[in-house]
Amino acid sequence: MGKQVDLLQGTLDMLILKAVSLGPLHGYGVLLRIQQISGEQLEIQQGSLYPALYRLEHQGWIASEWGESDNKRKAKFYSLTASGRRQLQSETEKWNRMASLIANILRTRSEEI
Amino acid sequence: MNLLSRFRSWLKWMVKGQRLESEMEIEAQFHLESYAADLVRDGLSQQEAMRRARIEFGGIETHKDAVRAAVGVRWWGELATDVRHGLRLLRKNPGFSAVAVLTLALGVGANTAIFSIVNAVLLRSLPYRDPDRLVRIYFNEPGLGLRDVRFSKPELDDLLTRSGVFEDATPVFTGSENLIGAGRPERVEGVNTSFSYFSMLGVIPQIGRLYGPQDFTPGFAPEAVISDGLWRRAYGADPNVVGRTIRIDNDPLTIIGVLPRGFRHPGPTTTADAEVFGAGGFSGDPFPSPIRSNRVLVSGIGRLKPGLKLAQAQARLTAMADELRHDFPTDYPPQAQWTIEIQPLQGTLVGHVRSMLLVLLGAVILIVFIVSLNIANLLLARASGRQQEMAVRFALGASRGRMVRQMLTESMLLSLLGGAAGIATAMGALGFILRFVPPNVPRLNEVRIDWVVLAFVLLVSVLTGLAFGLAPALQSAKDALFSAVREGGRGSGYSTKTGRLRDVLIVSELAFAVILMVGAGLLVRTLRDLLQENPGFNPTQVVTANTWLGVANDPKADPYLNIPGKVAFDREVLRRMKAIPGVELAAITSSIPTTNSNPNAVGGIPIESFVIEDRPVESSQDLRGERIRVSPDYLKVMQATLLRGRSFTEDDEDGKQPVAIIDESTARKYWPDRDPLGRRVRFGKDHTKPWLTVVGVVQDIKNDGLDVDGVPHIFVSAYQDPNKQVSVVLRTSLPAALLEPQIRHVIGSIDPSLPVFDIVSMDDILDRSLASRRFSADLVGGFAGLALLLASIGIYGLLAYTVGQRSREIGLRMALGARREDILKLFLGKGVALAGVGIVAGVVVSASTASVMASLLYGVRPHDPAVFLIVPLLLFAVAVLASYLPARRATKVDPMIALRES
Repeated sequence: MGKQVDLLQGTLDMLILKAVSLGPLHGYGVLLRIQQISGEQLEIQQGSLYPALYRLEHQGWIASEWGESDNKRKAKFYSLTASGRRQLQSETEKWNRMASLIANILRTRSEEI
Repeated sequence: MNLLSRFRSWLKWMVKGQRLESEMEIEAQFHLESYAADLVRDGLSQQEAMRRARIEFGGIETHKDAVRAAVGVRWWGELATDVRHGLRLLRKNPGFSAVAVLTLALGVGANTAIFSIVNAVLLRSLPYRDPDRLVRIYFNEPGLGLRDVRFSKPELDDLLTRSGVFEDATPVFTGSENLIGAGRPERVEGVNTSFSYFSMLGVIPQIGRLYGPQDFTPGFAPEAVISDGLWRRAYGADPNVVGRTIRIDNDPLTIIGVLPRGFRHPGPTTTADAEVFGAGGFSGDPFPSPIRSNRVLVSGIGRLKPGLKLAQAQARLTAMADELRHDFPTDYPPQAQWTIEIQPLQGTLVGHVRSMLLVLLGAVILIVFIVSLNIANLLLARASGRQQEMAVRFALGASRGRMVRQMLTESMLLSLLGGAAGIATAMGALGFILRFVPPNVPRLNEVRIDWVVLAFVLLVSVLTGLAFGLAPALQSAKDALFSAVREGGRGSGYSTKTGRLRDVLIVSELAFAVILMVGAGLLVRTLRDLLQENPGFNPTQVVTANTWLGVANDPKADPYLNIPGKVAFDREVLRRMKAIPGVELAAITSSIPTTNSNPNAVGGIPIESFVIEDRPVESSQDLRGERIRVSPDYLKVMQATLLRGRSFTEDDEDGKQPVAIIDESTARKYWPDRDPLGRRVRFGKDHTKPWLTVVGVVQDIKNDGLDVDGVPHIFVSAYQDPNKQVSVVLRTSLPAALLEPQIRHVIGSIDPSLPVFDIVSMDDILDRSLASRRFSADLVGGFAGLALLLASIGIYGLLAYTVGQRSREIGLRMALGARREDILKLFLGKGVALAGVGIVAGVVVSASTASVMASLLYGVRPHDPAVFLIVPLLLFAVAVLASYLPARRATKVDPMIALRES
């Protein structure tokens, strides 16, 4: 069970970084943005969002700032830092490498061995 | 997350945790409301939208907790929870908590009190400027077996100019001085030094000024600096005291300054803290001419030049001594091997009490061990009662580490509470203990509970908390795993593993108790032997009194400068003392037995070298002894046994043949195979001094302390060689207090300017001389009694608990036909086995470590068979009794009830 959580967590971190890289967002906005760009295919567990945000902030990959939301409310906006951008890039590369590797493996037919 | 960022976020949380918590709150609230607003837009009612949002989002607290865990600060929240839980548990079991905190308060309190003394006396630096550079300077003549001999003014000058290692150096004269102030003459403790004394120590006066080089005179300066104590006592803390005149030993001295309150002279004094400080140049009256052979200066102390190591300084001084011996062969006879030695001042001040204090510290540390083991046992018992709670926690997902942490928090809480109670105990007990600390322990005025002591207490508390908490915590966390599965939540059962752990704890507790009791036994036996020791005289029905004839700076002002003046005084004192009704005999001595605590003091009795006539120079090495000046009836008053020859008579006076009486030690040492009677001896190296003829041999008198053997004593006639320190001994059946007014009247009527002091019985003096031994014996004995009590409580508690746990088994055994004797034997046997193992272990450890106490023992070997027999037997008897009570209760178990209950 632990392994699956780890995998999800890592993925969530990457998704958050990607979402914030498109422009500063508040916590709820991050949730909406991920759902939106996934074409409503992916639903984020609300309980894992904030721990991930705080963890990323503590690692220095995103920064937070208090601002005003569309409905004129006080909200905390997250944006990508320089080191966050590098992290996102390397995560993306890693993910792509892994994804194509796994895809290759899954494509393999018996006669190719 | 790496350690650094973890620390950063922890720090951030600690610093602004409150703000972050509230920000999280706002953020979550915002999230909820935005989500609800979106739901409303999708067509839900406001109320329904809020409800759905809350359900989907979950509790805000849960989010917060997840965030705390994510950034690594959840630990602190858990700690707070554990602390609250622990406090609740402590409140819920007031009996357990009270016992644990009280025993801890005793153990930690004893540690705090003793450590605060050790800290002040042994550890803290001396309260002077750059104390590490202060040294005690010894002039030694190893060839004659003499250490710390007197030195001359030229030798002092050599230290200052020729050696190149001292910034400053001074001789220190301490001793009685006769103060004539407002009331009757008073004896005070005086210190006389060079003019650089105060600047060397770095002292700043509270009023007026201190000595400096500008005050230099060859003799003694006509000025005095007084202590804060004397200023308050004699002058009511008058701020205008500077400029007033006091008379010290008949010399009028002008007070130039008052020392600060905490100042103490860094050296031994005769009976009290020094109160009058004088200075002199040591080269004019009353000092003899400053030539190398006029060695009158004593007790050098000095300040090394900065940056100089002790070993370097010592090497240079040794080299200088070699040069001097070579340059002045007549002043330094080769056989004396005259040399100079330096030692750190701090060490020389406290060296004599170090082993006593360390043994006391060892005793209190053992007590804390025993207390810890006892509490560990209590906790273990309680932990097995809490197996159900642990099982539930485990089932609900608590990790083993988390459970150990919770248990440790509880025990830590207990130990910190105990520590706080211990500090309170120590604060209350310290004053009480200090009243019994023998006065020969230096720096007692500096004893206080400072940060070092508090840090020590914290350390002791944390360590004891770990010691008594860790074993039960680990054990119960482990048990929880099993009982969760095995017993399905029905907690009870006497797990063999827990049982074995408890057995080990009890055995070690008993072993520690044995070690402490053996130590106490050895000290108590030493004290008892000393009290029964024959001191060579009969101390009962002897009253002593003292006066001091004074050493005036101006010889012409001294009525007791020459022999006739002093002898006339002595004779008149004795004539009038004998006339006091109830006084049978009276005599004078220069040294009442066991009071020569400071041989270098003015009036003290140093070990002197002497020469035996007709003995070749080569074999005349190592001739030394103490010279005691006594009047004719001294041996009779003391009821000392004259073995051979005769006692002194009234005719042994100045101008007649000088005579001496030696003691057995001297006779055995220097005339092993010859008759000493009629032989002649001479003190010192001065050839013009007359020879003394040995006329008697007396049985050894323990003059230097009941626990000091074999120092050769040579008694001389006070009428031929009188002393400024006049101690009167009276044989009388009257108590000292009753005689005091008459004794004062006798001396006052002869010379009203003389002080009379220390009018006490000889029994009291002997008693006082053992104060240090009595203190350590009493204290360690008290701790040993406490250890015995705790150990018996421990063994009793263990068996009582076992009986309770196994009542079902007992019932079953009895139902199956076991007799009450069998049950009794079962539990008694357990207690006896534990006690046996613990006692044997303790005896083995004691036997291998007792030798560290050798320096505190006298007349008792570290492996004294009586102590090593009595202590185990006593502890065994107590352990059997402590086991018998619960064992008997086991036999009272009603099989019907026991079986039905389960």
